[in-house]
Amino acid sequence: MKTYLLFALKRFIQLVAVVFAGCSVAFVVSHLSPISPVEMVIGRVSGQSSYSPEAIESLRATLTELFGLNVPLHEQYFNFLRRLVVVDFGPALIAFPRPAMQLVMLALPWTLGLLSVAVIFTWVLGNIVGGLAGYYQNSRFLKAFGIVAIGAQPIPYYIVAFLMVIIFGFLWPVLPISDGFSMNVRPGWTFEFIASVLHHSILPAASLTIVGIGTWFLGMRALVSNIVTEDYVTYAELAGVKQDRVVFSYVIRNAVVPQLTALAMALGGIFSGTIITEQVFGYPGLGSLLVRAVNGGDSALVLAVSCISVIAVASAIFIIDLAHPLIDPRVKAE
Amino acid sequence: MLKIRTLMASAMVASMGLGGAGLAQDEPAAPPITNFPRNETLIINNPEGPAANPGWFNIWVAGAGGSWSGGLHQLNLDTLWFIDPDAGLDGAVYNELATGPAEYNADFTEMTVKLRQGVLWSDGVEFTAADVKYTVETQAATPGYVWSAPFADAVASVDTPDDYTVHFVLKKPNARFHSLFSVRWNAAWIMPKHIFEAQADPMAFDNNPPVGLGPYTLNSFDPNGAWYIWERRADWDKTAMAEWGMPAPKYVIYRSIPSLDKRLIEMVNGDLDMIHDLSPEGMFNLAKQAPTARGWFPGFPYAHPDPTLPMVIFNTQNPMFQDKRVRWALALMLDPVEMSMASYRGAATLSAIAMPPTGTHTDDYHAPLQQWMIDYELDTGMSKIHPYDPTVGQRIADTVRPQFGDAVPTDPEAINKSFGYGWWKKDLVAAGELLMAAGFTKQGDQWMKPDGTPFAFTLKTFVEGVINRLGTDIAQQWTQAGVAVTAEADPVIYANDLPMGQYEAATAWSIETWGGNPDLSFFLDSWHSDYVAAPGERQTARNWQRWSDPRLDAIIEQVRQTPFTDHDANVALGNEFVKLMVDEMPIIPVMSFNVFSAYDTRYWTGFPTAEANPYANIVNNWSNAKYILTQLEPVAN
Repeated sequence: MKTYLLFALKRFIQLVAVVFAGCSVAFVVSHLSPISPVEMVIGRVSGQSSYSPEAIESLRATLTELFGLNVPLHEQYFNFLRRLVVVDFGPALIAFPRPAMQLVMLALPWTLGLLSVAVIFTWVLGNIVGGLAGYYQNSRFLKAFGIVAIGAQPIPYYIVAFLMVIIFGFLWPVLPISDGFSMNVRPGWTFEFIASVLHHSILPAASLTIVGIGTWFLGMRALVSNIVTEDYVTYAELAGVKQDRVVFSYVIRNAVVPQLTALAMALGGIFSGTIITEQVFGYPGLGSLLVRAVNGGDSALVLAVSCISVIAVASAIFIIDLAHPLIDPRVKAE
Repeated sequence: MLKIRTLMASAMVASMGLGGAGLAQDEPAAPPITNFPRNETLIINNPEGPAANPGWFNIWVAGAGGSWSGGLHQLNLDTLWFIDPDAGLDGAVYNELATGPAEYNADFTEMTVKLRQGVLWSDGVEFTAADVKYTVETQAATPGYVWSAPFADAVASVDTPDDYTVHFVLKKPNARFHSLFSVRWNAAWIMPKHIFEAQADPMAFDNNPPVGLGPYTLNSFDPNGAWYIWERRADWDKTAMAEWGMPAPKYVIYRSIPSLDKRLIEMVNGDLDMIHDLSPEGMFNLAKQAPTARGWFPGFPYAHPDPTLPMVIFNTQNPMFQDKRVRWALALMLDPVEMSMASYRGAATLSAIAMPPTGTHTDDYHAPLQQWMIDYELDTGMSKIHPYDPTVGQRIADTVRPQFGDAVPTDPEAINKSFGYGWWKKDLVAAGELLMAAGFTKQGDQWMKPDGTPFAFTLKTFVEGVINRLGTDIAQQWTQAGVAVTAEADPVIYANDLPMGQYEAATAWSIETWGGNPDLSFFLDSWHSDYVAAPGERQTARNWQRWSDPRLDAIIEQVRQTPFTDHDANVALGNEFVKLMVDEMPIIPVMSFNVFSAYDTRYWTGFPTAEANPYANIVNNWSNAKYILTQLEPVAN
């Protein structure tokens, strides 16, 4: 137990370091944007009527002070670090004075929901079917599945997403192609609302799944193809161990460890895919929010979304790391 | 198998997470309703992305992230006058909360407005002159309000002789002060004094749900900002709009659909009644896919010409573009038919003069000026030419007829209105003569500036759509003519680069007019040299070219002292402006901004049409599109 706690502590320190470094980079990058939120607002406001140069200067000074941008960059950075500890990113500049975290918390459940369903479904199904395909190498069904998975795997997320919009929104219009839920339901723990959310998530989740499943399928099939030739598998088969037990406890369990590591490494990429998917389907979430923030030059909101994303992905990797020793006892000996 | 069951259970939990995703959402402000019958519901496309701050309805505060095209100012708010870019129901100018036109004193230093009586705010409180006075005084006194600077700049004092009269004293003569309260796309909306004066901090007040003077109130909205649902007031007859009839739809839904493709799909599926804009190809496809859908014109070119003039804008503070011979040379290097085909696939309405060829402008300006333009003589320094080609519209019609057949008009007047009256001839010889007269030389195929460096620059343009295509084509034509021009897609062209002067040339627009009225003050007043910023400073809208000329100032100052209602005097001043622009060519006018707005008559009829009843602008995020609602009828069954 002590060894495990030490292992967990090391991983936690890594987590904190990753979050600090990731958020600092996000701060620098978000402040490199050529778009100034102050100028964006001035542009919109002064588009209403003729503003004298003096009136524009007065408005600029007012907005700069209001948005907290009237202090040097390093001072903004230290303010940001102080607020990061309490997860407060200040007001969103494109929705001033609403706190950026409020907008993030509104969007986060959608992305987490979509991502968790897509990742779990894709990872579990891809690994199980891949494992079976590696073990039952003569199965026609599994061979056919392999061909489809290999074909779909290299297609970019957005191409699959657009295809699904055209097929299920236009040619055979049976699924919604926009929004998170229908206009005639209200958020709440009601059957109508949950059913509507699930209905609206089918296409975005399916586009992530179709593209993602091939990766796990191919990786698992290759791993299992090697493992089935190991002596302990042959011995178990000769000893009369039930085939299901051989497949799942002897073969797939051993093959799943590198897949788990791969999942941890792939989470960031999958998250980026979710952002694109949200854009294509007009689905609410962090991706849509991030695009709005970037277009609006809202460095505070970009920072909030980026930092929460860094924290979420790093935490997920941390949890996967903690699960490693439970699945593979050799990790404890590290 | 136990592990599989565990994994499946995990998946179920995740699904529950997805299902419960929206539970963290804000509670919409209105009671839930279960359905929106299509014979009572009009669904309108909001072209913007989802609002950043969906629950914000305080439109008077700058930059708070509320939706601008989600129905708030279209349906819930109101102000003194509306000016339609098309014919209007009873003329283009609507006296909305005012009972008549603005009344000025002799030297235009005072304005008096008589207000309608019996108009109620949506919470039942009566609208009075006190609301107008509060709107002006509050905004003028508080920087950060949207109309703060214009009011502070113009108004010396405002008083209310009685509950239905407002009297303004202006700081300087201005016969166009009323335009601050005149809706084209938007204007200064009247604030509900009784609501705002009760707030400790009106600038932090979200105004949710909004109390307005329009005929609709908020029913509900998407906490993610994708849709807003508005419901007709039971007492709609206590609003100014009652004068033009009851708005037919009980519910109006504004759906944010930024993707052009998805707009088309949603309309074909019957889930959208009005589309804000499509691509040319999208419109051509919609006409084929949905027999009940159509654009402003019944056939080609389909699109509604906005009173906006896409153009080439030169940064005239850049030494490269300070010689009008250079600007003229660049104009003569362009082939108008190619520009029309490349940008709009032929569905463009060209304009050779600095005036959108739309609304009443063609009758006031384009048609009467034809002979002057045909006779117009340009001295290249080596020869004198007549650069105008009145056959351009006909040539475009002939070009697209093989593809679109009978949908292309044949009547010359219809061709003029659809494709434009004409444009400048492509004349590379004359362009070369002008450049040489300006000191340029040619080395091989490349023009060199008088200082011996290559004549090269960047043309900033939109990131997508017809203006992007136009910019790309123009850059290509200039490059072929020996000027090394690079087109650059610019995501912050209006937000930053045009106002800050961070560009050499651009395809965008700096001319927007009322459309339904010959008065040019809407954009022209801002072109006065008083508003031209120094290099490096922010230029106020709309003189992005930063061009000034004493003759232009004289015209603007005359407009400021000419009554808005004096049609002939305003047309005469407009003609002076157009002729000055042709002489100087500080911008190269190209075309009207044709918007492929579409509507579907599957559930509603009575929409305006170009050919039979052009009573309103169908570009539905303009506030004046609200009058369409009074003319609609649900389709039986």
